[in-house]
Amino acid sequence: MSASLPTVTLQSGTPLPDSIRSLLGLPDGPVFEFIAAVIASSVIAAALLGLVAVSGIWGKRKITAAFTDRIAVNRHGPFGLLIIVADAVRLLSKELIVPDGVDRPAWDIAPIVMAGSALLGFAVIPMGNGLQIADPEVGLAYVFAVASIASVGLVMAGYSSNNKYSLLGGLRAVAQNLAYEIPLIITAASVVIFAGTLRMSGIVGAQAETLVSVAGIGIPSWYAFVNPFAFVLFMAANLAEVGRNPFDIPEAPTEIVAGWQTEYSSVYFVLCYLSEFIHIFLGGAIIATVFLGGPAGPVLPGVVWFVIKMVAVYLFTQWARSAVPRVRIDQLIEIGWKGMLVLSFANLVLTAVIVGLTV
Amino acid sequence: MSLEDPTSPEADPEPVGVTEDGLDYDALEDLLGDLAIGRESHINAEAFVVRPGDVEEALVTLRDEAGFDHCSCLTAQEYEDRFESIYHLRKYDEPTQEVGVVVPAARENPVSQSANGAFRTADWHEREAYDLVGVEYEDHPDLRRILLPETWQGHPLRQDYDQEQPQVVPLREHANPLKDDHRGIDNSDTMFLNIGPHHPATHGVLHLKAVLDGEVVADVDPDIGYLHRCEEQLCQQGNYRHQIMPYPDRWDYISAGILNEWCYARAAEDLADLEVPEYAQVLRTMSAEMCRIAAHMLAAGTFALDVYGDFTAIFMYAMQDREKMMNLLEDLTGQRLMFNYLRLGGVAWDLPEPREEFFEKTRDLLDDLPERLEEYHNLITSNEIFQMRCIDTGVLEPEAAKSYGATGPVARGSGIDYDLRRDDPYGYYPELDWDVITEDGCDNYARVLVRLQEVEESAKIIKQCVDLLEDWPEEERTIQSNVPRTLKPEPDTEIYRTVEAAKGELGIYIRSDGTSKPARFKIRSPCFSNLQTLPEMSEGEYIPDLIASLGSLDIVLGEVDR
Repeated sequence: MSASLPTVTLQSGTPLPDSIRSLLGLPDGPVFEFIAAVIASSVIAAALLGLVAVSGIWGKRKITAAFTDRIAVNRHGPFGLLIIVADAVRLLSKELIVPDGVDRPAWDIAPIVMAGSALLGFAVIPMGNGLQIADPEVGLAYVFAVASIASVGLVMAGYSSNNKYSLLGGLRAVAQNLAYEIPLIITAASVVIFAGTLRMSGIVGAQAETLVSVAGIGIPSWYAFVNPFAFVLFMAANLAEVGRNPFDIPEAPTEIVAGWQTEYSSVYFVLCYLSEFIHIFLGGAIIATVFLGGPAGPVLPGVVWFVIKMVAVYLFTQWARSAVPRVRIDQLIEIGWKGMLVLSFANLVLTAVIVGLTV
Repeated sequence: MSLEDPTSPEADPEPVGVTEDGLDYDALEDLLGDLAIGRESHINAEAFVVRPGDVEEALVTLRDEAGFDHCSCLTAQEYEDRFESIYHLRKYDEPTQEVGVVVPAARENPVSQSANGAFRTADWHEREAYDLVGVEYEDHPDLRRILLPETWQGHPLRQDYDQEQPQVVPLREHANPLKDDHRGIDNSDTMFLNIGPHHPATHGVLHLKAVLDGEVVADVDPDIGYLHRCEEQLCQQGNYRHQIMPYPDRWDYISAGILNEWCYARAAEDLADLEVPEYAQVLRTMSAEMCRIAAHMLAAGTFALDVYGDFTAIFMYAMQDREKMMNLLEDLTGQRLMFNYLRLGGVAWDLPEPREEFFEKTRDLLDDLPERLEEYHNLITSNEIFQMRCIDTGVLEPEAAKSYGATGPVARGSGIDYDLRRDDPYGYYPELDWDVITEDGCDNYARVLVRLQEVEESAKIIKQCVDLLEDWPEEERTIQSNVPRTLKPEPDTEIYRTVEAAKGELGIYIRSDGTSKPARFKIRSPCFSNLQTLPEMSEGEYIPDLIASLGSLDIVLGEVDR
């Protein structure tokens, strides 16, 4: 095994819509480009939904059970996998209860905004084997921009639900996202200094070289190895960004019932739940791309490696959820503004100095 | 009078009335002087009769001059010619030194002075007495019903109360008490929030009326009574011998059943002057400590649940360890929750055969316990975020704890060295080697530490009991003494007895009238008094701390509401 990875499959250079267009033999033109883009997005979205269905409904149960010494679902089909079907039917057939006095359009739109914003982020993620819908020059900035739209959805949900627990949850979510997105982006910026580009494929490409060779095994120059400090910072900030322990205070089930999603039921609840999981996976995708060499890895196809890395980040969040207590809102803000922000700027400046000296 | 200096109850170096043999009630009577207009003899202690207008003065005198700093309970009851409120006082330093203060009130218009000025715990106790018996307390800051709905008609523990009477409530008053949410108040910087009665963290049906200033709790008022099942009245309808014993299991139903049963057993046995064979005492001690471990495991687990937020590893671990204890208790008693194991004068049955198997199972469990506790300490108490959350939050100063009558791990977490198993010995505890755990932190963290360490102490006790039981000669294994088929204690004897239950001092007051059923059966619930400290602990702190403090109190609503 070496770091001389199958770079051909990493970045084919052609975005997925173009490949689909040539595959289907569609001619040039805005209409056909649009059709190809819709097909490409559908493919990616469907794959993601499948991943969320497996990990969110079945995997989460199994993982939590493993952490807590239980068995979890094992009667629905092999390994309990049919629970996915059962849960889907159950959730979709529940009554949608609209509480008195909710602010209707906002209350309805909020779950869609949240789910949509997380899905949008995947448009620029290079997942290997040519699975990338678009590769704009400002890819990394775009991901963070669309991912933060979710905060708007959270506030909408919290404010329009006509429920005080929702309101508290919504306000907590804003405070939390403000405190943690800045360190998150600043830390990612330190990687941009290394890579010299915001383009996602460029960042992945910059990590393909071998950093050092130990006993014939090449360690790739993934930014997690090049700058482990930034990696740790980013992982921590990401936990807050996706709202998992110790930073799950916008939901905080034992304190404010379920926070902003208290009043959502049935399909809307599914959307909320879905958006949370897609968000976790988007966080995983960003970490994989920016710090873990994207789809790089030996033997297996790039897309498999990419999914493995995403799921690894997901497992990390589940581990934190099972083992780490929740901080209090004031402590969270303090950690964010007084700790993470300072550290992330220090990291940025140091990186800039080092890069400036070595180049 | 010492009304001016209520803050230093122990200012006097030598409390009045203490002699080498215990209490000198004559000295106490002299101390009260004109305040005492009579004297009664209860089995547990002497009691002084005080005029309805002198309650506060008498209690403050006893508190400051004689050192009675713990108002354990208030019993209100009705006689043919009068109403009566009995304040059961004792000392945190020496709980065997007890005194009663009996306050008669007129039959037609029962009014007596509130004891709030002397003991803050009187607040809820007097509200309960007003609610159920209908004695009114003058100068009480907030004399509302506490267990029954505010619209309730009549006082159920009165003799003339008609149980068949329909509770006709006008629609206006029947309006949903949760509906009014203070949203109409203009220019308000605060938000009113109903936490409960159905909320993930209230550990049952508790309703906290909280006023928030942002995320900070400005005011919190616990509203209880949702689980009131008339336990006192149920016990008054059963005969001493067999029909009362199953009820205590249903007060603190979090596997602390035998501890509760013991309280009734102790009170009734002292009332009827029954002996308990030594072998049965060892069995009682062992099974009670098993219950304590199970209860403390659940307390630790649910507290972690409140701080961690989800059904996390630590909660499931605690549930598993509790489960193992329950399996043992099931082997012993045949029941997993409602044990009904104790009998007056003994226990229901001997250890399960083969005895060796039971001993082996118990020893295995105890051998694993240190490792399990180590894991708890790794997972929770040594976690930095956990410490950040729990240290210096939910602070309950010892003085406040005493004034509120807090007992059990809550008091011991505030540095009050008070454990009835040692201070008011009963059962086989005095013969065994174990320690009382106290922590000086006064915060949520200290209370968790106390519970986890108490599990170790209980394990020590069980281990010694197992050794004793194993070597017990077969011919001396008497589990039950001779008890008359129908118990009819002497008429007009009164007793108040307490034991150290899982949550603290569980007390029962019984007055007999010569029949086979108690004339008055009053339960002193430790959770009831402990829950009263919640506003003291959480006002000015954040919502998460309020939730954590509530969890650290480890209340069981079945016992709060009875």
